Amino acid sequence: MSIIELEGIYTAYEGDDKPIIKDLTLHIDRSEYVVIGGPNSAGKTTLLESINGLVKITHGRATVCGFDVGKSGHEVRKKVGYVVQNFYFDPFTPFTTEQVVIMGRYGRLGLLKRPSEADYEAASKAIRLVGIEDLAQKTIGTLSGGQQQKVMIAHNLAKEPEVLLLDEPFSNLDFSAREFLQGILQDLVKRGTPIVMVSHAFDGLPDIRIHLVVMNEGRITKDLVCPAESVEEIIRETSFSKRNSESAAKRRSHGIRSGFIAPGSARSR
Amino acid sequence: MLEPLIQNNVVCHAVEAMVFASITCSILGVIISRMNLSSIGFTMSHAAFAGASIGMFLETSTQIAAIAFSMGVAALIGPVSDKAKMAADATLGVLFALSMAVAIFLISYMQYLGRGLSAGSLLFGDVVSLYREEIYALAAISLLSVLFVLFFYKEICAIMFNMKIALASGMRVKVVYYILLFIIALSVALCLNIVGGLLIFVWLVTPASIASQFCNNIKSLFIAAPLVSLLVSAFGVWAGFEYTLPIAPLVALLLTGTFGLAVLMSSKRKVTTRMH
Repeated sequence: MSIIELEGIYTAYEGDDKPIIKDLTLHIDRSEYVVIGGPNSAGKTTLLESINGLVKITHGRATVCGFDVGKSGHEVRKKVGYVVQNFYFDPFTPFTTEQVVIMGRYGRLGLLKRPSEADYEAASKAIRLVGIEDLAQKTIGTLSGGQQQKVMIAHNLAKEPEVLLLDEPFSNLDFSAREFLQGILQDLVKRGTPIVMVSHAFDGLPDIRIHLVVMNEGRITKDLVCPAESVEEIIRETSFSKRNSESAAKRRSHGIRSGFIAPGSARSR
Repeated sequence: MLEPLIQNNVVCHAVEAMVFASITCSILGVIISRMNLSSIGFTMSHAAFAGASIGMFLETSTQIAAIAFSMGVAALIGPVSDKAKMAADATLGVLFALSMAVAIFLISYMQYLGRGLSAGSLLFGDVVSLYREEIYALAAISLLSVLFVLFFYKEICAIMFNMKIALASGMRVKVVYYILLFIIALSVALCLNIVGGLLIFVWLVTPASIASQFCNNIKSLFIAAPLVSLLVSAFGVWAGFEYTLPIAPLVALLLTGTFGLAVLMSSKRKVTTRMH
């Protein structure tokens, strides 16, 4: 049984009459490194938030870590880490890096329970793993975007998740930081924690087989396993061919044939 | 409680009321300010004002009516609005307008009927005419606020940091949020007699804002905000009695003035000119 099983799911945001994700089926096993690609507004972030139950699944069946996401979204979120895409912490945010990282454990603890020594140890381990020991006592709002991103990754690693979802985790990071963090993610995969990552940055992907999912308009247009070096090319090809076929369809609907140049246009002159 | 220290009963009640209200409002204020929920504090304080007006109009207890109306508004802002999938902004806007309309309508109508003479205390509070029971109620809500923060400290911190991240990490965010709403409602309703419906918002927001100019961590914020509020309010009570000035507006002005000073003095805004 796969750790993530999505069967014909539809999801929609509150108030929207059109679903964002339409009839999507996806199975993810343990030890898989999944990259979700595709153009903007393809539904990539919505897919991640459907997996952990932050967005409501209106139709279909979704099981994650053995829990039905619709009925037990809260239980799913206790086990699934999620590095969100957009966050902003103002300079007055009164929490240090250390405090933010330990917060990653709070969901697992449940209401009213205090973090134990083991929780603090897990947080320290995550801080050391990501290499942000020097930032531990600094308030998060005073850190750079890249440093904040590392803190949020450590926050999720401290959780010791069974699945790790990441939405554009490398957008603020330089190449060496990306490579370093990719190494951490690869280790997680080796230890049986699947990674599901939405990204537009494919440099530094680990040299392993990647489960690539390409999305467009809320549907999966490609679902295959490929070497890391092919990921960017396949995504580009899929998106490019899709865009080409769309513009060709648009041209056809306007009565413009390919290669036909109207008299008086720049090229005919 | 403070009778051995303060001989005058009226002054003693006023100081006690200010102490408890300061602690309650400023502790909740830290949470409200960090979560950008100022509009909730604003709406809730006017809901209590409207509730008290209803109580006065119906010639029943203004405090019980204020509590009932504020609790109703808390339910509408929280669980009901979540169930109905209403945007928080829209709910708050509608409820604020409703509260103000109810309060102003009833106060105007009571004045027309010749019964609105004491309505001023709802607007600006009347700290010198509090009953002992009211002080006990304030002490109880003060204790409740402190216990709420102590018991749910972990959850409150996570929610104050980022609601979405707290939710994504598997925390029971809604439970804590709803409890917070009901405690705010209860606190605001009980503090209404001291500073009034129009000024209570100052107590909810200003002490936390003053403390945030100097405090870098959450624990110090929870200690500094009540302390600042307590000192300024106690000084306000003393100055009010000493110079025969209206106490609640004076405390509001003092808190606002302190906030201005804090902004000017805050090291968080200073830009270093050092080169090395």
